[in-house]
Amino acid sequence: MTLPPLLEARGLVRDFGPHRAVADVDLTLDVGELMALFGPNGAGKSTLLRLLSGSLRPTEGELHFRGVPFMPGDPRVARQVGVLSHRSFLYRHLTARENLRFYGRLYGVVGLEERVARRLETVGLQARMDHRVATFSRGMVQRLALARTLLHDPALVVLDEPFTGLDLDAALRLSRVLTEVRSDQRAVILVTHDLQRGRELATRVGVMSRGRLEVQAPAHSLDGPGLEALYRRVVEVPS
Amino acid sequence: MTAWIWAVWAILHKDLTREFRTWERLVAMASFAILTAILFNYALDRTEVDPARIASGLIWMTVLFSGLLGLGRTFHLEEEEDALVGLLLTPIPREALYFGKVAANAVLLGVIGGLLLGVFGLFFGLEVRGNPWALAGVMALGIVGFTAVGTLFSAISAGTTMGESLLPLLVFPLLVPLILFGGRATALVLSGGPAEALGGPVRMLGAFAVLALVTGGLLFRYVVEE
Repeated sequence: MTLPPLLEARGLVRDFGPHRAVADVDLTLDVGELMALFGPNGAGKSTLLRLLSGSLRPTEGELHFRGVPFMPGDPRVARQVGVLSHRSFLYRHLTARENLRFYGRLYGVVGLEERVARRLETVGLQARMDHRVATFSRGMVQRLALARTLLHDPALVVLDEPFTGLDLDAALRLSRVLTEVRSDQRAVILVTHDLQRGRELATRVGVMSRGRLEVQAPAHSLDGPGLEALYRRVVEVPS
Repeated sequence: MTAWIWAVWAILHKDLTREFRTWERLVAMASFAILTAILFNYALDRTEVDPARIASGLIWMTVLFSGLLGLGRTFHLEEEEDALVGLLLTPIPREALYFGKVAANAVLLGVIGGLLLGVFGLFFGLEVRGNPWALAGVMALGIVGFTAVGTLFSAISAGTTMGESLLPLLVFPLLVPLILFGGRATALVLSGGPAEALGGPVRMLGAFAVLALVTGGLLFRYVVEE
């Protein structure tokens, strides 16, 4: 018997008034896959991520998680999804540990203290666990946000431009963690403007333009120039 | 049910931890409350008016005005780093988020209420002739009703361009019963009036609190989602 894909979107549409932000997107994502999604600003990437993570209601179309239809706010799905955005969802006046404890309680994480310590170690922040987030650099905040995203062991990890504002070291560390996350039997969907980094991390790439997911291809089938050429062709950027 | 209570506790604990580190809302509310009490003290002509007779109404008006200063910031605290989006992505019921926020606001307003009783007692020479526990109960009931309404409307106003300035316009008309029955019950306890006379206004305050909590719990989801 074939298991249903972890995540499946069929005919996904999202309108904001007269503007169609996401148009007729079909997408499946299986465990062990990391899909990198590219596209120019306003292509609908972030809106698609919000739809897939269950934080936005689609105007049309269906979403299935492990074969079961779901809508935003479904706690069964929320428990299995982790979202990292370019905003951290963290509280500046709480310490790193307090932030993770707080989110861990909301997700009902069992063995919370141990899990918090482990996640802080994963992102290299155990030495700063009792420092307030307000004292952290942008890179440290993003690493802590990654720890928050992975705290409840989500099966689906959704990452919206996680490299924004990170210096080289922080970006490399994040890439390393993402590679581990992918090999950890999860599915990851990543939106980034960094074509090369996205291609290196991904098993599959997709390019969006004007709300449509115009093309999807296995990452190994494209080299750097090939991906750039594909991107330019899809978004009609003259080379 | 345990997960639901745990979520309410987590929200309450987080909001209070944050507040007792920054003192952002408490300082604003307490300063406003004390300044208002001082102004009332000087504004009243004691040869014409016995301050003790009107103190209960003034206390409730001051609780409401200073309370709105704090309640208006309830969801602005979550705007920093889009934390509200993070909360809505968690599997907790929306009602748990609402009741956690109401509980945190009620604790803060309880502090302000206690402070106001002390300040008015000092300036107006108030004496609690009735049961002090009855006074605490009346204050608690009124504050729960007020925060239940104020928290819901704070979520509504946070999503508008007018923000906090819209909150009083939305909330004050709904708080008329609170002023009426809260003021009457407080006056009765302060003056040591008959216990049986207290039953009516206390029941109305209780009914207001229950109605506000149930309505807020039911409507909150529609306010915060999208």
